[in-house]
Amino acid sequence: MEESNQYFELMELSPEASLDQIRRRYRYLKTLYAGDSIEISALHDDFSQELLADYLQRLDRAFEKLNALREKNKAMAATVVRTEPDPELRDWLAQVGCFDGAALKMIRERLGVDLQAIFAVTRIQPRFLEDIEAEAFGSFPAEVYLRSYLIEYSRFLGLESQRVLNDYLQRYREWTASHRGCGS
Amino acid sequence: MADSAQHTTIWAVGGGKGGTGKSFLSSSMASCLALQGKRTILLDADLGGANLHNFFGLIRPRCSLTDFFEKKRPLQDLLAHTGVANLQLITGSLGSLESESINYAQKQKLFRHIRALEADHILIDLGGGTHLTTLDTFLLADKMVVVTVPEITAIENMYQFIKSVYYRKLKAIFKAYDLTGLVQDTWKERATHNIRSLKDLISHLRSGSGRIADIFDREMSGFVVQLILNEVRSSKDIMTGENLKHVCVNFLGLRVQYVGPISYDPAVQKNINDKQPFMLFNRLSPVVKEVRQVTDNIVHDTPFNVPEDLLDGRI
Repeated sequence: MEESNQYFELMELSPEASLDQIRRRYRYLKTLYAGDSIEISALHDDFSQELLADYLQRLDRAFEKLNALREKNKAMAATVVRTEPDPELRDWLAQVGCFDGAALKMIRERLGVDLQAIFAVTRIQPRFLEDIEAEAFGSFPAEVYLRSYLIEYSRFLGLESQRVLNDYLQRYREWTASHRGCGS
Repeated sequence: MADSAQHTTIWAVGGGKGGTGKSFLSSSMASCLALQGKRTILLDADLGGANLHNFFGLIRPRCSLTDFFEKKRPLQDLLAHTGVANLQLITGSLGSLESESINYAQKQKLFRHIRALEADHILIDLGGGTHLTTLDTFLLADKMVVVTVPEITAIENMYQFIKSVYYRKLKAIFKAYDLTGLVQDTWKERATHNIRSLKDLISHLRSGSGRIADIFDREMSGFVVQLILNEVRSSKDIMTGENLKHVCVNFLGLRVQYVGPISYDPAVQKNINDKQPFMLFNRLSPVVKEVRQVTDNIVHDTPFNVPEDLLDGRI
C-alpha cells in the first residue's frame, strides 16, 4: 500500500478514491497538461518540455498502477462474496433471532471480511458501515439511505437482504420514534 | 488587547497585477462580513495608489497611513466610518509614500499595530507588484487571498506573485532553522541529485532528513493560497481557476485552494463610478451571491465545488 500512496499523491487523490474518480482525474490532468491552455503557457519559465514530458510519463504510470490496484481489489472482493459460509456458520445463521448491528458485525468477522473490502465494491464509506454495525442510528437522518446501504451490505455477505431489512429497520424505526420526540 | 487579538482573522488580498478587482473584492468581502455582524476593518495598503474610500462614496479621509508613518499617530486613531455598519476603513496614502521607501522598523511597527487592532476580521488590500513590503504583508495574513482574471497577462503576474511569496516564506524558514548553507550546497549539486525545480529541491531535502521534513510540515501546514477568479464570462473560464490550482500543486509544489469564480457584470463598474457600496445597492447581480459564497468559503476554509460536468468536459 505504501507504494500506491505516491501514485495517489501524484494524482492529487485520497487513497480512498474510487476507480471512477481515478479515471476521471486522469482524463482531466492529461487534457490539462497536453493542451496549450493559458494556465500552462503563462508558466513557461517553470515549464520546460522535458519537465512536462517527465510529469506526463509519471502520470501515465500512476494511472496504470492505480487502475490495476482497483481492479485487483474488485476481483478479491468478488471472491470473498462467492465464499460459501462454513457449515457451522450456516447453522448458527439459521438460529439468529434478529439481525441487529452486533449480529451483522459478528457474521462479517467470521467470514473474515474487512470493511475496506466491502467499501471497495459497494462504495459505502467504512464509517457508515461502522455506524450500521454499532447501531449509531443518528448517522442516518433518512431511512432510504440506510435501506440501500443495508441491501448492499447484506448482499455482499451473502445474507438474505429482506430478512436483514425487516429486523434492522424495525430497530431503526423504534429508535427514531423515541428520539424524534426529544428533538435530537 | 492581547486576548482579543487572538480572535482576529487577518486577510490579505493580493495578486500581482493591477485591475483584476482586488480592491473591489476586498471592499465587497469586508462589507459582506460586516453585514453578518462581524466587526471588520478594511486596511488600504496600496501605498501610493490608495483609493478604497471610493468604494464607499467617501471623500478622501483626512487621516491616512501617511500620518502613521510620518506623524507617528497610532493606527487605531486612523479608523474612519464607511457608512456600512460594523465596517471601518483605514485609508492608504496617495502619492507621498512609496512602499519601497518603508524601512524595516516601520514595517515591523505597522505589523504590530495591525495585530493589535480590535476586530473580528481585518482585510488588507494590497497593491500590485511584488515589492518586499507587499510580500511580507501578504505573509502576515491568516487568509492569503489572490485575485486574478482569466487572461494570460494577469495569470503570468499571479504566478510571479505567488512564487515570490513562496520563495520569501521558504527563505525565512531556511534562515530560521539555519538551513541556508545546506540549501545552497544542494542547489549547486542539483545535477547529481536530478533536481530541476524548487519542488524537486524540497522533496530532495525532505527525503534526506526527518528533521527537515518535520520543519516543512510544521511551517508550511497553514500555507494555503486562496484563489478567486474574477470577471468570469463562460463555463470555460470557471475551469481556469481549477486548472491553476492543479498547475500550482504539480509544478510549483504549493497549495492553492480555488474558492470560487466571480461573474463579469457591467453593473460592477457602474456601481464603482457611482461611488456606491456594491453589496448594499446591487442585490440583483449574481456577483453579490458569488461574493458571499467566496467569503464563506474563505472563512470556513472550504473549496469551491466545480460542477461535475465541467470537470468531465473538454478544457
